[in-house]
Amino acid sequence: MPIEITVRAHGDYYAPVEGAPPDVRELSKQTLGKQVRRVGRFIQLALIGAARCVGTQTPPAHTGIYMSSRRGDLETNLEVLEQFFKHGHTPKPLNFINTVSNASCYYVARHFGLHGRSCFVTGVCFSFEMALQAALLDMQAGVVRSALVGGLDTVAAPLEIDRRRLGLNAQTPVSEASHWLWLEARAPAPGETTLEAVEAFADRDALAAWLKRQSFAPEKTLLAEGQYLAPADARALRGETALTRAFAYRESLAYYDGQAGAALGAYRATADLDGTALAHINGDAEGRFAAIVARRSA
Amino acid sequence: MSAPAFLGAGLHTALGAGVARNIDALFQPLPRPVLQEIKTPEESVGAPALLLHGRPLENIEARFWQAAEAVVGEAIEAAGLTRDEAREAALVLGTSSLDIAVSEAIYARELAEGEDAYPLTSNSTMGRLAQRLRQAHGVRGPEYTICTACTASANALIYANMLVATGLVRHAIVVGVEIFNIITALGFQSLELLSPHGMKPFDAKRAGLTLGESCAALVVGPSNKPGAFHLRGSANLCDIFGISAANPDGSTVADVIRMALEDAGLAPEQIDGIKAHGTASLLNDEAEAAGMRLVFPKLPPVCALKPFIGHTFGACGVTELILFCGMAERGFFPATPGICAEPSDDLDIRLPQTPQALAPGVFQLNFFGFGGNNTSLVIANAD
Repeated sequence: MPIEITVRAHGDYYAPVEGAPPDVRELSKQTLGKQVRRVGRFIQLALIGAARCVGTQTPPAHTGIYMSSRRGDLETNLEVLEQFFKHGHTPKPLNFINTVSNASCYYVARHFGLHGRSCFVTGVCFSFEMALQAALLDMQAGVVRSALVGGLDTVAAPLEIDRRRLGLNAQTPVSEASHWLWLEARAPAPGETTLEAVEAFADRDALAAWLKRQSFAPEKTLLAEGQYLAPADARALRGETALTRAFAYRESLAYYDGQAGAALGAYRATADLDGTALAHINGDAEGRFAAIVARRSA
Repeated sequence: MSAPAFLGAGLHTALGAGVARNIDALFQPLPRPVLQEIKTPEESVGAPALLLHGRPLENIEARFWQAAEAVVGEAIEAAGLTRDEAREAALVLGTSSLDIAVSEAIYARELAEGEDAYPLTSNSTMGRLAQRLRQAHGVRGPEYTICTACTASANALIYANMLVATGLVRHAIVVGVEIFNIITALGFQSLELLSPHGMKPFDAKRAGLTLGESCAALVVGPSNKPGAFHLRGSANLCDIFGISAANPDGSTVADVIRMALEDAGLAPEQIDGIKAHGTASLLNDEAEAAGMRLVFPKLPPVCALKPFIGHTFGACGVTELILFCGMAERGFFPATPGICAEPSDDLDIRLPQTPQALAPGVFQLNFFGFGGNNTSLVIANAD
């Protein structure tokens, strides 16, 4: 009997950034009920998103943490590099330790008193999908029964330089986001969302063959086009699958790297979708693809 | 489908390029670390390091890619993957510092050229390293980059094995890469964790670590070959005692060791040998020794491999696994001559002084990292 994975909760931080990235210490203190000292904005935003996800609940101590980000804690890394190469100052011990990407996982685990799995996953276009797949693999293997899965992307000052790093033009609006899901290995209650699959595909043919096997009912399936999916691939997908009901969760978002992290929360927050599936398809510049499938129980 | 097994490997460390050369070197005297000079405005710091054999610290960008891409090719060839099989394979990379050495070199050059330079403008995407390694070998399957400090490539193996075991892919290439970089060197210097005289894990004279370089790759896939090494069990847990050290009472180390044994369906007395993490730092060796004592009423033989290659951080998981399997396949349990010949008063661990004859069996390999990341692997070449 396959293990069902239910999305118990989701929580988000999202903020467009103009000028300087915001100081989030006060928001962090309000959200967490205390000040977390000696950490940068990346870790603060990880904590804010995770805390909004779990709300007033306390995750079980064995809960696993899976975090994804395309660029990780960029600000801390930039600071350490500039301090040494530009100003000749050697890294301070805690600054150096916080350059390890999984420092954010540690602080989330410590805040909630968790000692389960801890994994930081990154990738070029499918960071969030692969973190979600890692959680799904662990849960379906019975290794993990509760998981917090987060996707976090931040920007760094000065923004005109950071836009250059991101390959964006000077006018492109940018933002920061911290999206979190709380997954549990259990059957869903009516109206709850289950995570059914996260898969990666070497090419369009492999994706098409897989989609065919899923037997999605067009009237009961929403198609969400991922951030990096080429328009031509999106058109082809719609034609090949007859999935014409679009789930447009990204339209109002300013640029950030891991917008796939927003999809399941947005789907979960949309009313009147009982019995409706979500197929989220992302793509990369090489013609590889990743899919997330979720379903709202009737 | 057959159970996943280790099909072939590639390795480049201070001991040499190629798996066979690395294993040969484990029968030779320990290499001596060389001090790499880093100039700061106030002083010149000598960072003890064991660099990739045959690749001096020059032309940073070229040495990095040449070494990393070559080991992936070596592993694919050793595993006998066809081009089509490699195309469909997953690539799961474990690393701590990614290609930061390259970014450092570019930033330093741009500053020296008088440009209005900013760091990481050439690449701030952490997944580019795995992408490049994948593209270099025509691999198009799922791509993970796992960054959990010194457990990264051990965790990469766990997920690679799961991708194969669940049938999502037929083959997965696990890669571990760690290359000398200035920030890591100065960071460990600031933590006072570097030892210029080599690593002496669990020894009364242990004084810290040597920076190690490694590029390692291992192909996991189905095998019907009797006696092929495979991952029998594993565990990864977060230790929230501290971000840079495990709980010295050994409790959290014991937890992850026990969980891996449980996953493997084994009792402690069924373990034939342990490859310790052995960072030779005072507190971490204390925690690791205490953890092993809590689990094993009678400790099986323990070895440590970092004295040969330095601490290769995110790459140490797959690097030390390849070294251990290579020695075991030649029928030997690794030795570290001159290190921990007698148990130190506080830790009560003894390491072999000469390679010991070893039959096929079941072995436990432990890894602990910053960020409270603890991982234990149980591997077997006999049931």
